Amino acid sequence: MVSKPSRRRLVATGLALVAGTAALTALPAFIDPYSLRIVTGVLMWAGLACAWNIVGGYAGYISFGHSAFFGIGAYVTGILMQSGVGMPFLATLPLGILVAVGVAAAIGGPTMRLRGAYFAIATWAFAEMLMQLATVLDITGGTGGLSLPAYLNEFFFYYTMLVVALAVYLGAWYLLERTRFGYRLKALRDHEPAAEAVGIHTTRVKVQAFALSAGITSLFGSIYAYWVTFIDPRSVMGPEITDQMVVMVLLGGLGTVWGPALGATVLWVTNRYIWSEFGDTAIYLPILGLIIALIVLFLPNGLISLLPGGRRGHGVLTRLLRKL
Amino acid sequence: MPASRDARPQPRSPLVVEGAVKHFGGVTAVDGVGLEVASREVVGVIGPNGSGKSTLFNLIAGMLALDEGRVWLDGREVTGLPAWRIARAGLARTFQIPSLFDNISVRDNLLAAAVEGDWKGAPGRAGEVLEMLEIGHVADNLASELSGGQQKLLEFGRVCMRDPSVILLDEATAGVHPKIRRIMLEAIRRVREAGATFLVIEHDMEMVRETCDRIVVMDAGRVVVEGSFDEIADNREVRRAYLGRRE
Repeated sequence: MVSKPSRRRLVATGLALVAGTAALTALPAFIDPYSLRIVTGVLMWAGLACAWNIVGGYAGYISFGHSAFFGIGAYVTGILMQSGVGMPFLATLPLGILVAVGVAAAIGGPTMRLRGAYFAIATWAFAEMLMQLATVLDITGGTGGLSLPAYLNEFFFYYTMLVVALAVYLGAWYLLERTRFGYRLKALRDHEPAAEAVGIHTTRVKVQAFALSAGITSLFGSIYAYWVTFIDPRSVMGPEITDQMVVMVLLGGLGTVWGPALGATVLWVTNRYIWSEFGDTAIYLPILGLIIALIVLFLPNGLISLLPGGRRGHGVLTRLLRKL
Repeated sequence: MPASRDARPQPRSPLVVEGAVKHFGGVTAVDGVGLEVASREVVGVIGPNGSGKSTLFNLIAGMLALDEGRVWLDGREVTGLPAWRIARAGLARTFQIPSLFDNISVRDNLLAAAVEGDWKGAPGRAGEVLEMLEIGHVADNLASELSGGQQKLLEFGRVCMRDPSVILLDEATAGVHPKIRRIMLEAIRRVREAGATFLVIEHDMEMVRETCDRIVVMDAGRVVVEGSFDEIADNREVRRAYLGRRE
């Protein structure tokens, strides 16, 4: 397309990606198991932030319900790996995605006709409902939770997260910046009536984006469940999961491809540092709130705007806030 | 697609509106408006503020639902269809306040207008449109960084990207620099020569005189008179609509 960034910038991005991938591939040989676990977490949160960014940053709809899709992935894998069923881990991944995409398409139809705060409230209510459901159902283990077969190989989870996160980012970059789908999303985000006036079926595109985002979120939920070997409703469907995704995207750069990865790295490392220094993460939530306030006031385009070639203007976040 | 509700033959003109009515609560914004625009014709819609011009545009474009009446586009009835389907059927429009995709570049705005059409040919077409509208030098700027006049040009450029058969322009030259006005008028002339039909809301009477073949005057939601510029210039009804008094 004509709008491709300059060849030089494309080459620079490509080289940075190759170098970064090579470094991340070699990393486990140089760091201790605790640090490896932190980096594995960074990769997971980077992928989750990227998934939320498809709906929040590109379609311009604030979802507070993404924890539900994370939980769906976690529970599908958890349930199917129980001794009675005994399905292999990898086979559960597509099923988790399928369920999340189906649920997202079903609830996206009606909710994505809502705008601004109404959509945010509807998705939040949906996630709460699903979490409450998980606390009373036998199949999810209720509040007692669900244990998965232990596979204590940190390298496996590190490389799984790495491959999936890389695939998600490359796929997102191509889909959102190089195809009609990305242009449709950005058009409806910036001016929905004008998008319809050029022939874009906005509701369909929004539901597609929501379902895609839900599928990716579910995938990480599945891997997480097998990684931590124990899940309960709060740990995989709690609102903190969505909150964290939102703040990571805002901090890194809303509506940018690579910004969420930056935000996830900074925030998750901060989270783990606080945990290791103070023994819990109670102070972490106020820090999230403070970061939101500071970004809105001083850095509306996120950390990525500080890098060379970063985006100008105050548009995407301002438009999103106006919708609320 | 709604089925034909009577035996009336399908109109052949690019745009036909029949008995359009729209109420907002107790206010009748459009009250039985009918009009027909012939192929390659440029019809101006004028009238005082609040006379129902923009509401009429929104009804034709499917952005508001008709309470009564019917609309045909290129002989096909589009009454009740959503805006995106009417757009795909060949209608393009601009808005009274330029409605751009603010957070993407000027070039990407043009490309975004082509996502439901010839996508492969879109980059080349965008280059032509940028050149025609003389905004190539700001092609990589964000749309929000443009001046008001450039924004109007870009919005018209988005229309051009789609090769529509009918174009609705809502005050395309209002308040713009004379140079931009000249570019816009020239672009309208070229797009018309290429086969497009125009319905134009305008307060700029100079633009109306230069561009429009026929003028429809609206007041209080109704068409009060229509004719050539000279015919309406001295019309008593037109003066009354604008000045609000009898002569």
